[in-house]
Amino acid sequence: MNQFATFVQLVVDGLAQGSIYGALALAIVLVNQATGLVNFAQGSMAVLGSYIGMTVGNLFIPSTGAIVGIIIGIVVAVIASMAMGGLVERFVMRRFERAEEDTKVVATIGLLTLITGLVGLIWGFNPTPYPFFFGGSESLRIGGVSISVWSIVTFTTIIALMIVLQILFRGTKLGLGMRAVADNAPSAALAGIRVGGMRMAGWGLAAALGTVAAILLASKSQLTPNNFDGILVYALAAVVIGGLDSPLGAVIAALGITILESLAAAYVPWIGHDLKVVVPFILVFIVLIIRPQGLFGRRTVVRV
Amino acid sequence: MKGLKGYDALVANRWVRLGVFLVLIIVLGVLPLVADPFTNQTISHIAVFAVAILGLNIVMGFTGQVSLGHSFFVGIGAYAAIIPIRDWWGGPLAEGAIVIGFVLSALIPGVLGLLIALVTVRLRGLALAMVTIALPTIGLPLAQKFAAFTGGNEGVSIRRLDYVGADGQTYKGNPFAAGPGLDNDQWQYYIVLTIAVAFFALAYFLVRGKYGRAFAIVKSNEAIAASMGVSPYRYKVLAFTIAAVYGGVAGFLLIVWGQFTSSETLAFHNSIDLVIASIVGGAGSIVGAILGGIFYVAVSQIMNGLQLSIYTTLVQGVVIVIILFLLPGGLASLPRTIRRLVRRGRAGHHVDAGPQADPTAENTK
Amino acid sequence: MPLLELTDVTAFYGPVQVLEGVSISVPEGGAVGILGANGAGKTTTLRAISGTVRAGGSIQYEGRSIRGLRPERVASLGIAHVPEGRGTLGNLTVRENLMVGAYTRKDRRQVVSDVDYLLELFPNLKARIRSNASALSGGEQQMLAVSRAFMASPRLLVLDEPSLGLAPSTARTVYDAIARLRKESGIAMLVVEQNANLAFSVVDSVTVLETGRSVLSGTTAELRGNDDIRKAYLGG
Repeated sequence: MNQFATFVQLVVDGLAQGSIYGALALAIVLVNQATGLVNFAQGSMAVLGSYIGMTVGNLFIPSTGAIVGIIIGIVVAVIASMAMGGLVERFVMRRFERAEEDTKVVATIGLLTLITGLVGLIWGFNPTPYPFFFGGSESLRIGGVSISVWSIVTFTTIIALMIVLQILFRGTKLGLGMRAVADNAPSAALAGIRVGGMRMAGWGLAAALGTVAAILLASKSQLTPNNFDGILVYALAAVVIGGLDSPLGAVIAALGITILESLAAAYVPWIGHDLKVVVPFILVFIVLIIRPQGLFGRRTVVRV
Repeated sequence: MKGLKGYDALVANRWVRLGVFLVLIIVLGVLPLVADPFTNQTISHIAVFAVAILGLNIVMGFTGQVSLGHSFFVGIGAYAAIIPIRDWWGGPLAEGAIVIGFVLSALIPGVLGLLIALVTVRLRGLALAMVTIALPTIGLPLAQKFAAFTGGNEGVSIRRLDYVGADGQTYKGNPFAAGPGLDNDQWQYYIVLTIAVAFFALAYFLVRGKYGRAFAIVKSNEAIAASMGVSPYRYKVLAFTIAAVYGGVAGFLLIVWGQFTSSETLAFHNSIDLVIASIVGGAGSIVGAILGGIFYVAVSQIMNGLQLSIYTTLVQGVVIVIILFLLPGGLASLPRTIRRLVRRGRAGHHVDAGPQADPTAENTK
Repeated sequence: MPLLELTDVTAFYGPVQVLEGVSISVPEGGAVGILGANGAGKTTTLRAISGTVRAGGSIQYEGRSIRGLRPERVASLGIAHVPEGRGTLGNLTVRENLMVGAYTRKDRRQVVSDVDYLLELFPNLKARIRSNASALSGGEQQMLAVSRAFMASPRLLVLDEPSLGLAPSTARTVYDAIARLRKESGIAMLVVEQNANLAFSVVDSVTVLETGRSVLSGTTAELRGNDDIRKAYLGG
């Protein structure tokens, strides 16, 4: 295996992996913009969605065949997670709207535990395969380099989704409403925009995005209730590095982190595979020192 | 009203409190001599985590700093204690190794905590959370990488030395076999509880005095604290360092209780469990730390006992969400909440009357 | 029947009573000013109307009580409130801010022509139509805020101190535009102002508030002419 091929594979796989982190990071930024808190349960909500996709998919596959069944599973998972996101915002998080910072964090951590426990209870903690269009190890040969199909599909799907979301935000009335509420909720209310509804929509979209990412991940590495626990840490790192208020920053940061981490794991001997997790934190540390609001973030004014 | 007033007066009376405390000490002191080993071990186990959670309460509950990496300090403290014991107990230092272990378990995490606090003191919100998350997330693979030193996943156990008891029999790993003739679970209980009580008392006096007040001011509004001459930086660093020390000491107690540690102790999910237990017990209260410790141990024991360990995470999640909704101050705030409900029930509705009428009232004009 | 009628309105911020009995009446198509010193309760009165603050007493709009309704609901009934501090959405462009104003409207074509009308009325906004609102000057933000409120096609425009923080000439420009808006659309207005002269240039009648109570009201002509009242309440 020549050096160049290895390098390309690392980059491609890094991009795919990074896009999954980026999707979760984007979901976290979305939720933060909609309701002003960091949702530590974002990953577990995504995982819940992916389990629903698996169950529904497996339900339909015998009668409708693999492809249609899988599609139905994904569609139902996305719709269900949108609903779940909205309901969680309405009935759980709204309660903590006026709470202190650390209470909000604990609330989302409680949610994380609750959802993970629920998933473990219903589906068990053993790894379960996710029915998908192709396996995780299939690859294509492009120009003499073996590239994973999964990586290509994952990366393009998530980027496409992000573009769709961007169009939604910039080009539709719903997106306008959501951005207005994120910018200045009381002012948006004075224009007749239903603030609560916009917040629910924000949570719903974020949950759906996370679910798609979780499904893609599961198709490669199977479903477990804790699938996104480690990914959450990467996503949070991406959010800190990119800037809590920058959707684009979070995604770019996620991609950057993952690629740098893969390269460090492969090419820096003392880091290697076991310690590659320090890479994102080193990056976080550096960013917090030189530009604490994130690479793409805006400086915020602290009001007394 | 009378019954309530009488109760309030009773609780506030300094002598009553001292008396209750002394009774408690006596009961705790005598208990291990009569109770079965399982009870003693459970109480010790609770004390271990009560101390860890107390540290977390000081930094999170009292000073308002998010700390999602507390298990890091517990783990480091455990290693700091167990390695000297493993290496030196058999040598000329003998039981002195245990004392050294104790000192290191407070010192090393404390110094680390101090350094980390100094670096992160200006951070808030997500950035601070990220740094605290980094600790166990990096700590665990580091511990595994230096497995030669730390035993990695398999961990470190203490090689038990032989001691001769008062009855001439050989007991493994029990320095108290000869003198008072205590069983393992008993002397472990005494060491753990003595240290735990001492550290709880320390925290009690810390929080009642000027430090406690300073923490509270810093928690509520840093800008106002600064304007009052209370340096938020100084007290945040202090709180975090204290938490690290308490975490480390809890690590030592963990070793006394279980004679074992591994990289698993440093795991991130342990930090989450500690935070949950802290909130359930009552994050802003010292008694809350004890309740938190009980919750921490009880949940896993009960669930394992009922063969329902698959439910453990769910139970934790359900309990903390319920607590956050109904009793945000944790179980420790239960008496206060009951008192408030009773008072509101008796006072009737005249408190709420006035122009601040409810939106659904009929229009009178 | 007046378009808006407040009778003995009260309001609290927590335990502190801020309004003790405010009564104001705005006729259909009319313009009323609210004057008074700082802390008299002028802003709170407007907030009571738009539902941003809980209030007691009677607030009738088009003959029905709107007291206690949520702000979104009040806005959809045709009351557009330009709050203290303007409430411009900094991260959105000027055009987007205007479109937010028209959020609840369904008549696409009219919305477009309203935008054109406002851009013609405020050429500064037209020049910066694609900029983020946060990049605008104070005066431009005020014009944007008023325009946004107008985009809702309201029956009642509620303005909280349009001249706040503006240089006198800029404030003058804003008020000229407000006067023109009123003349050309016949919209009713309720304007809170510290600067009595500016207020007089737009409104037909005025109510003066003092420590949460409406103490005096009359037409512009009456109050303008009365020297004692001017000295006592309107800063001479």
